[in-house]
Amino acid sequence: METIYQLLHVTFANVPAWTVQVAAFLIPIAFIFGVYPAIFALTTLVERKALGRIQNRYGPNRVGIFGILQPLADGLKILLKEDIVPRVADKFTHFLAPVLIVVPGLLVYLVVPVAPGMVAVDLKIGVLFALAVGTMSVIALFMAGWASRNKFSLLGAVRAVAQVVSYEVPTVMAGVAVIMAAGTLSTLTIVERQGGGILNISNWYVFRPWGLVGFVLFVIGGLAESARCPFDLPEAESELIGGYHTEYSGFKFALFQMGEYLAGMAMAGVTVTLFLGGYMGPGSGPGLVGSLIAMLWFFSKLAGMIMLNIWIRGTWPRLRVDQLMGFAWKVLLPLALVNIVAVGFWHFLTPRPLAWVVTTGWLVIWFLVLTKCNASAILEKREYRYV
Amino acid sequence: MNYPGKGLVEGLAVTARNFVGSYFYKDRLTTVQYPEERIQTPENSRTFPFLVFDESPDKPRCTACKICEVECPPKCIYIVMDRDDKGKPLQRPKAFDIDISVCMQCQICVEVCPFESIKMDNDYEKSKYGRFNDLVQRLPDLLKSNDYYRQIKPVEAAEVDAKLKAEAEAKAAKKAAAVAAAAAKAAATPPAGSAT
Amino acid sequence: MNIAFWIISAVAVLGAVLAVTLRNLVHCVLALILFFIGIAAHYFLLRADFLGTVQILIYVGAVAVLILFAIMLTHNVTGVDGPKELLGVKWWSGAAIAATLAILLKKAILSDPLATLLPAGDKAQSSVAEIGKALVAGWVVSLEAIAILLTAALIGAVVIALEEIQKS
Repeated sequence: METIYQLLHVTFANVPAWTVQVAAFLIPIAFIFGVYPAIFALTTLVERKALGRIQNRYGPNRVGIFGILQPLADGLKILLKEDIVPRVADKFTHFLAPVLIVVPGLLVYLVVPVAPGMVAVDLKIGVLFALAVGTMSVIALFMAGWASRNKFSLLGAVRAVAQVVSYEVPTVMAGVAVIMAAGTLSTLTIVERQGGGILNISNWYVFRPWGLVGFVLFVIGGLAESARCPFDLPEAESELIGGYHTEYSGFKFALFQMGEYLAGMAMAGVTVTLFLGGYMGPGSGPGLVGSLIAMLWFFSKLAGMIMLNIWIRGTWPRLRVDQLMGFAWKVLLPLALVNIVAVGFWHFLTPRPLAWVVTTGWLVIWFLVLTKCNASAILEKREYRYV
Repeated sequence: MNYPGKGLVEGLAVTARNFVGSYFYKDRLTTVQYPEERIQTPENSRTFPFLVFDESPDKPRCTACKICEVECPPKCIYIVMDRDDKGKPLQRPKAFDIDISVCMQCQICVEVCPFESIKMDNDYEKSKYGRFNDLVQRLPDLLKSNDYYRQIKPVEAAEVDAKLKAEAEAKAAKKAAAVAAAAAKAAATPPAGSAT
Repeated sequence: MNIAFWIISAVAVLGAVLAVTLRNLVHCVLALILFFIGIAAHYFLLRADFLGTVQILIYVGAVAVLILFAIMLTHNVTGVDGPKELLGVKWWSGAAIAATLAILLKKAILSDPLATLLPAGDKAQSSVAEIGKALVAGWVVSLEAIAILLTAALIGAVVIALEEIQKS
């Protein structure tokens, strides 16, 4: 916002100051409201087509050429559906829950930088804001399950809340490793720290040992927080018995889907910012051409993360709820703590090769120890008598 | 070599191969895009009957003998024999209606036809917009050529053709034998008549 | 005082009043969440970004969820919000006690020299680094004591849950 304010202030020097301020305030918000829901609509189509190709079939290809008008058709269909509210449901809470799911998803985009200097709000505590706002969606899940006055919705909501809350902890701690290495909580500065190096690529935090582990933890946590496969137990319950969005139909259901996808893309955006170098890539720098290239890099990386999410969705089976919780508390949390210690080693060991060796060795040893300790959770190969 | 997470990575490799391969090798996508592409149903499949003609639609194999009309269990066939001006029956049908909303595809009409003229078709796109009388197939709809029959059911059509050819040859041979016998008889008797 | 202060205060006070007067307990908790967000907005107004974010993270993200779970496990929570007996004897006695408390508190707070300092406003800097340094360098004993307390609480919770599992 500051950059846009400077640009507008310079070009339109003779309009009153308050119009420039309002414009500098509205342009990033218009960008967020325009671009990210459009990416959401495109993602629904790309996901269906990519899942189709993985499963040896075409995705939707009837509506426009290559099915490009399918999101429009879906949107029209869901707008025209009847909005049914159960008679005994708590009307106010039932109405408010879909709204409260979408709002935190959109708020995270305020601190994700898309080009040098182009972040909607340059908070000094950007990363913390993103993570804190992400936890606000927990309330909405619970409200949705409670307001439906349905035992199964309540159970689904309780499980969803437990899942989101458990996976927040390793996610935040994986982010802490990056914060320690960068020395700041501001997302813009973190991205700038990942510039330089060979082709603006070799300084990305994902290419460091602790960064790779942190990246894996953050991706898993992001999948779990937006309840996507393989952690989509809340959604699976909605196929089987209920789940927190059973009693919703019509546009409220669309808002649930939108909130879930927006939260997933927001987590992907934060992952790109923290680990994959944000908008850094060969050719991104200040100036108009550099900014455009940087924006291209950012959206390519975001698209790559979304494709990774879709790939994972098409491949891995769903985890059961006890496997899910065990995974979060017994494997991911100790690994996140070990990762923080590894960043400490990296920071204080001065000869770089020594730091590489010690950090990598520390992480590998702890990974093997943790998988060995949790080996009882993995099913052994079974012997079948009448095969 | 087993490392933790091996199954996950191998799964990802399989799906990636499927995804990338579906763009380069067309036989990975087994979808038939229906209205634009249709695949021929197997030879043994059948939907509703049709009438076979050999050279032109004016000369169907059917002689309007009405055996199929009598044998049809739900009585969905209605045949009217074509007669000329004097009322003499021409051996072909004037009207041949099959009500496909009644036909139960039992193939009895095919089995009892002595002239191999009614056969079962593979065509399944027979729905119409009208509710009344649009599902009755009349004679022009039912007449299809022997080439079409050979195309949809090659093995069966080859058998039928071989059988018809054998019948025609047997008939020609019998006729030739009868002519030869009559000629032999004609050659044998006059000398006896002229002798007396 | 700028307009933002009055708007945020109005929202927070509205949340607080609804939290104590509504009959339906789940609606009360939602009003309480509104109040927490109002307080976080006040922190942001005072340029204490870190504290405001931590307020949202802890209060809205954890404490409110805890209260919601506790309410969920209780019976008879859904009373009907509607007109109730206003301005009866109980209301007047409660209002009198609250007014007395407010006057006493105001006298006590304003007699402290710290209260007459105006907020730093635009001159304050976000001080995450300062907080971190103070916690680890100056107040480390308190930090460790809190850590031990939280660990003890965690172990206690696990022990209670383990007893339940072993009993059944």
